[in-house]
Amino acid sequence: MENILSYIIFTPVITAIILGAIRANLNTLKFGATLSSVIVFFLSLLLALKFDPELMMQFLITKPWIPTAGFSYHIGVDALSLVLLLLTSTLMPLLYIYMQKEQRKGYWYNMMLLQTGVSGAILSLDLILFYLFWETMLLPIFIMIGKYGSGMKQFNAMKIFLMTVLGSMSMLFSIIYIGYIYFHTNGVWSFNLDDLSMLSLSAQTTAWLAAGFLLAFAIKIPLLGFHTWMAPAYGSSPTPAVVILSAIMAKLGVYGIWRFGYSLFEEVLVFYTPYIIFLAILGMIYYAIRAVSENDLRKMFAYASGSHLSLIALGVILSNSYAWSGSLYFIATHALASAGIFLMIGLTFRRFKTLDISKLGGIAQTFPKFTFFFAFFALSIAGLPGTGGFVAELLIILGAFKYDLTIGIFTATTVLLAIIYVFWMLQRTLFGKVNDHIKNIDAKDLSLIEIAMLSPIVILLLLTGIAPSLFTPFIEPYVLNSLESLTPLLTGVK
Amino acid sequence: MTDLLYASPMAVMIIGAFTLMLTSQNKISLHKFNIIAVAFLILSLVIQLYLFNEQSNSKYLFESIFGETFIMDKFSKTFDLMFTIGSILTLLINTDYFKSRSYFNGEYFAIILFSVFGMMMLSHSNELISSFIALEIASLAIYTLVGYHKNKNTSSEAMMKYLILGSLAGAFFMLGVTLIYASVGSTLFNDITHYVHNTDVEDMNMIFVGASLIMVTVMFKIGAVPFHSWVIDVYQGAPSPITMFMASTFKISVFALILRLYLVNFASVNEFWIEMLQIITVATLIGGSLLAISQKYIKRMLAASSIVHTGYMLIALSSIGLGAELAAPSLMFYLIAYFISAVGAFGIISFLSSQEFSELTYDDFKGFADRRPYMALLMSIFMLSLAGFPSTIGFLGKFYIFTSSIQAGQILLTGLGIATAFISVYYYFKLIAVMYFYSSDQHKTKLPINMSTILIFLMAGFVIWGGIGTTLISVFPGADGFINVAQDAIESLRSY
Repeated sequence: MENILSYIIFTPVITAIILGAIRANLNTLKFGATLSSVIVFFLSLLLALKFDPELMMQFLITKPWIPTAGFSYHIGVDALSLVLLLLTSTLMPLLYIYMQKEQRKGYWYNMMLLQTGVSGAILSLDLILFYLFWETMLLPIFIMIGKYGSGMKQFNAMKIFLMTVLGSMSMLFSIIYIGYIYFHTNGVWSFNLDDLSMLSLSAQTTAWLAAGFLLAFAIKIPLLGFHTWMAPAYGSSPTPAVVILSAIMAKLGVYGIWRFGYSLFEEVLVFYTPYIIFLAILGMIYYAIRAVSENDLRKMFAYASGSHLSLIALGVILSNSYAWSGSLYFIATHALASAGIFLMIGLTFRRFKTLDISKLGGIAQTFPKFTFFFAFFALSIAGLPGTGGFVAELLIILGAFKYDLTIGIFTATTVLLAIIYVFWMLQRTLFGKVNDHIKNIDAKDLSLIEIAMLSPIVILLLLTGIAPSLFTPFIEPYVLNSLESLTPLLTGVK
Repeated sequence: MTDLLYASPMAVMIIGAFTLMLTSQNKISLHKFNIIAVAFLILSLVIQLYLFNEQSNSKYLFESIFGETFIMDKFSKTFDLMFTIGSILTLLINTDYFKSRSYFNGEYFAIILFSVFGMMMLSHSNELISSFIALEIASLAIYTLVGYHKNKNTSSEAMMKYLILGSLAGAFFMLGVTLIYASVGSTLFNDITHYVHNTDVEDMNMIFVGASLIMVTVMFKIGAVPFHSWVIDVYQGAPSPITMFMASTFKISVFALILRLYLVNFASVNEFWIEMLQIITVATLIGGSLLAISQKYIKRMLAASSIVHTGYMLIALSSIGLGAELAAPSLMFYLIAYFISAVGAFGIISFLSSQEFSELTYDDFKGFADRRPYMALLMSIFMLSLAGFPSTIGFLGKFYIFTSSIQAGQILLTGLGIATAFISVYYYFKLIAVMYFYSSDQHKTKLPINMSTILIFLMAGFVIWGGIGTTLISVFPGADGFINVAQDAIESLRSY
């Protein structure tokens, strides 16, 4: 039980190594991959049951990894990482169901490596360990876009890879520097977050260090100005990769700010707050407008996802209890909703061989089940009351109003814009006149397996929307506790 | 008698070289020559390993004959081990390559042993003239090896280029030695150290000029910009095994000389070179990166990127000058890390050129992952390590270099190092992208299980093991082990 986090992280990659070593054939490979994801899912559930919301970091493991350099294997889980971890381990089995007809073996290996990378990054509390997993999760995405993607896949894979690595390199510089400062003051190396957060740094140094981290996170989210990889990469990605990209990996940018920003350089974050708020609001509106004008379904929801991630980033940086609860809640619900919609987009492409909105139309007349799920996920992206997104957005907007009236108003506009692009898209794709392209296509409605794959997400979205009180006990203590440690700082500035 | 034991690793090398040379006209198959050469190397390696763990202080070899000319310390032992292992790997990984080319004969192995002897002598040498002789023994052997493919134009061209430029650079060394001798009155390192410590800076102009001239030669040998113009052509023109030998083993030997000079002899006047060295470092990092980006051939790309790696080592060198204690071990560690990755990468290149196409361009690697999935995986691992991706030994190497550089206060240089590491991600990942992103119409080739592939697998294992390190199995030294070895070696230098 005390090593449960290690099992969660390493089960997929070890499965992959074993399967690779025995040169597993396709069916064994599929079975092994699915089995590993199911095991991880149950382990995460077990973790969630044993999790005590009143405490902060739990299930800690600290072991020396490379002692001379001060690397340690330090992992642990709190409410923030638990939410992300549960999402990852819930989505993975569903993605394997989606991929069940996939013939190419590399795909499966990459997915397993990806899961290890993502859950490792979520759980690590040592900066070098975090950097290791942060880079590890990029590799499978790089290969999957470049090898199994569509469109200008090679170019787009290189683009997302180089841009993200640029961010990680700047982060690495900050990590090394901060580690050196620790060495300089204490005489030993350490990259342990607990140790490093004790450091008191000069204002100027911290500003530079924070910039290194923030660049990495800003590219990952992506904030406006750092987003040029987003639409091409989403457009070229195969569906499972795009689901992980938007549902989990983009959130890790926000997670990074939350986890590392607020423990290593909270003063600087408070100092940077107006700029980040500015970028986030600009991003929310700009991405929303791009989403309205985009004609490719996947790119459209890429921009939609960017817009919502800016909203989450805004919520995090506002750092009051409403906004933080809302952000944490939105991380979960948006991940579910975007996973759902990108899966639906994948299914759309499987059926109609196109993602061009102008070629779709009138799907509702022949595909009722498909329409239901598509519309449901699209509407939950827009924050339909009754889905979790609504609760989360409401909380963030409340937080924004609490912070500043103008910011509140701007934040509220994004919700309106989301309604515009979602409804207009729904009207053009699902309803209206049956398009010639759709007419000539011989496709079936959703199969039972596909419905089984999508229903858990629907149920979770409804549950989070209708009964938020089921989940708030998990996140409320975390938010209040972490805010408490920040209070002197925040009140001091205002 | 103990002197004889201490000198026996070198003696074995020279005996082996002469044995091979004298028998080279006999009609013995190439394979047997290879085995004989490896046998001599392994014999030497065994003696070295036996001597390595011996807890003894540094001592001079044959003090009654040579005086303080040759020294035996942990530092030289560590380097000897690297040279021997490097040449064993060179010979074994390229078994197929030798078979596939008709121009190899017995002398080839003799020359390799001669060059290893030269390198070992260089790492032991404690005097300027003998270092020069050692350097020239190693270099002359390398010149010959570069031009070994007599009927190939590029090979001969590379040899001439390297020979003429190398000899010219060697002349600078001699000039430097003369100037130093003029002011010190001795060429022994110990005397120089003594002189430098006890003389005012104003009176040491000759020393500065002389030492700077020596640095010119050394910078030429390691291929630092602006003395780099030979690197790419020579690496490309040379037969693949030689490229591997040069990039991994020969480069290290020059660093043995640099470290000894820097850490001991000129330690007190290091500040004098810092600015010069930093400028060379910046030029090497940027110039190497620019060259590497634009290459079409993999071999040329690796050659250009080896310039960039030289740049990283130079960062550590100027950190040494600025007094960072971590810098010297980090440089040693980087040498080991680069050695392992380069042996792997060049090993794959030469393995491939023994099998299919001779000129390997990026385009030739299209669909490589489909044709040879395991080779592609191994190549990716080496590329990751060279690019400094975490979980490989290359990352740890860069990590140590950068931390020591920050310790020395070279923030901007560290930033530049990280920026060039970012650029290097482009040209290394371009190869990975080309291998994986395109599909191939050709059939899958089965991976032959022979010496070459097993050793390449082993290298890949080392790359991962060295990067992940581990405290799980305490018997086996992980990445910690390497840095400890490096630290011990440096300690033995300093203690003198």
